Amino acid sequence: MVGMTVPVGPPPPFDPELAAALATIGELPSSLTLDMIPALRENGIMPTPTDDELRRGGEYEIEERAVPGPSGDPDISLLICRPTGATGPVPALYAIHGGGMILGDNRSGLLGALEIAAEFGAAVVSVEYRLAPEHPHPAPVEDCYAGLVWTAKNAAELGIDPDRIIVAGGSAGGGLAAGVALLARDRGGPALLGQLLLCPMLDDRNESQSGYQMVGLGLWDRSANETGWTALLGDARGGPDVSPYAAPARSTDLSGLPPAFIDVGSAETFRDEDVDYATRIWQAGGVAELHVWPGGFHGFDALAPQAAISRDAGDARLRWLRRLLR
Amino acid sequence: MKELAGRLAALDPDAGAALRVITYFDSLVEAHAGLEAIVRGAAVLAGCPARLVDPERRVRVRVTPDGQRDDAVEPPDGAWLSTPVIPHGALWLERAGPAGPVDAMVLERAAAAARDALDRTRGRAPAPRDPALVELLCDPAAPEPARLAAAHKLGLPAGGPVHALAVEGGLASVQLAVTPVAGGRRTGVGPAGAVADLPRSWAAARTALRFTAEGTAQDPGPRVVYADELGGLAALATAVGPGTPPVPDVLALERAASAAPWMLATLHAVATTPSLRTAAGTLTLHHSTLQDRLAHAERLLGWGLRDAPGKLRLQLALALRRLHRNPA
Repeated sequence: MVGMTVPVGPPPPFDPELAAALATIGELPSSLTLDMIPALRENGIMPTPTDDELRRGGEYEIEERAVPGPSGDPDISLLICRPTGATGPVPALYAIHGGGMILGDNRSGLLGALEIAAEFGAAVVSVEYRLAPEHPHPAPVEDCYAGLVWTAKNAAELGIDPDRIIVAGGSAGGGLAAGVALLARDRGGPALLGQLLLCPMLDDRNESQSGYQMVGLGLWDRSANETGWTALLGDARGGPDVSPYAAPARSTDLSGLPPAFIDVGSAETFRDEDVDYATRIWQAGGVAELHVWPGGFHGFDALAPQAAISRDAGDARLRWLRRLLR
Repeated sequence: MKELAGRLAALDPDAGAALRVITYFDSLVEAHAGLEAIVRGAAVLAGCPARLVDPERRVRVRVTPDGQRDDAVEPPDGAWLSTPVIPHGALWLERAGPAGPVDAMVLERAAAAARDALDRTRGRAPAPRDPALVELLCDPAAPEPARLAAAHKLGLPAGGPVHALAVEGGLASVQLAVTPVAGGRRTGVGPAGAVADLPRSWAAARTALRFTAEGTAQDPGPRVVYADELGGLAALATAVGPGTPPVPDVLALERAASAAPWMLATLHAVATTPSLRTAAGTLTLHHSTLQDRLAHAERLLGWGLRDAPGKLRLQLALALRRLHRNPA
């Protein structure tokens, strides 16, 4: 992961349908700087679903609940979505939203998580974690972990099966989900059934071949990535003392983790670090399923959900969950 | 991230959205996207199912607005928005008209992209249709099970509605009756019916082809003729064989035609419009100029053109002239 050992080739071409969607939308910046954060938050670049949308026509009942945060820190808010009329404990997706550590709330992207959960009659618990740069590491990952601990402890009251909780997240949420899985392992916390890591943001060093290949292209390029990690870690970003709970790629021990599902596009910054993470899980004797979608830019399936490759990516997630849950 | 379809729907259809549609399909063409991606683009951007059918190339692609491929068996509805995909196929948006500006742009751009993809992946026209199958469909002597099997192979429903087309140069073609007829070459269109009726449709289409014209000054008239609309004129076709001598009115018409380059187009306009005023408008002539021309034509033909019997005589002469030009 460190340094450039072979020359960087041209960027892999985008999938035709994804390229068309990207060209058509046109106004999404590939690069982000810290001074753009207030405007991005204000513009609502991450759409917020309404209560009605979250209920999916009565399929789910929703409740926002304040629960204890990390010790000494403020309470955090969990958005709890339970299938109506469940007769016994149900599996749960513990959802951590994306947004580069700097954007979004516990409703961002939640419709996608609910769509997946609905296939299995599973609950979704989505955590409202504090955002960088106002709240740097460890606030985001500790908030996420505290919410997970509370959810597992109160599973009976929530109608959730504590043995069937899967952490799930995309982009920064995927990185945080991987960090939460490491914390749960190291602190003897909740036993997770799996970790669903969608194009996860894992490595603060930001020196991958794929990062250099995709500069200025697609979504969330190398400079945007530097912005996100710097917001989270400040001057420590890329240095010797970064915690693996902040940047899971920094972990030197990927053994003893719950089965991982990792997907990523071949045409995005995170390609190499995500492939490397899966590889190191296998090398440590663990279980991981890796999908690299050719010509996918970061978050392609959210921007162009109807594209053939997006549908295939969604199907692969469902198949993994089916094997895990049934 | 808000997805593409949602963003497009939020745009002002007149200003932004049509431009985005152009960008989308241009980008697909540039990347050599396949037919399914093109039809999916139409479905997603129009927000309704879209389908592409080209029976001669055996292409049938239908995609729903959520992006799912879902090839339907039931034939398209004639009320849906559609556009031909030259030379044989058609693209539908499964929604009744009228087309809004975005629908129209989606149809136009998706059809152009589909034609491009078809030419690239299925070869340029003449398409690799199987002439033996089409011939079988139109052959009254062929056993019905064989014809039904041929229809199935070409993706045509046994119950129709299908019709036969006779294209200049002797080409036979069979398509769903709701498919728009491409007007690139002179074409006779047979009546629509079940697959079992195709031999009759084919015979009628060949007759209709004889009444077509190039649509030029020396051969004015329609390039596409529907057998259903011929009425009693169809009986005239049997009266003119390859060796039949022209009746005197046809000879008079040819003489008049050689006297002035405007003659045939003028006579065609007079024969097919309800009034001389309309005819003058069609020809973009001043009314008095048309009067002068008519007087000249009447002298050469030897009969009057301003009353109903004279106009009927002219119509018959023009029809007979086409039958001589297009022998059976």
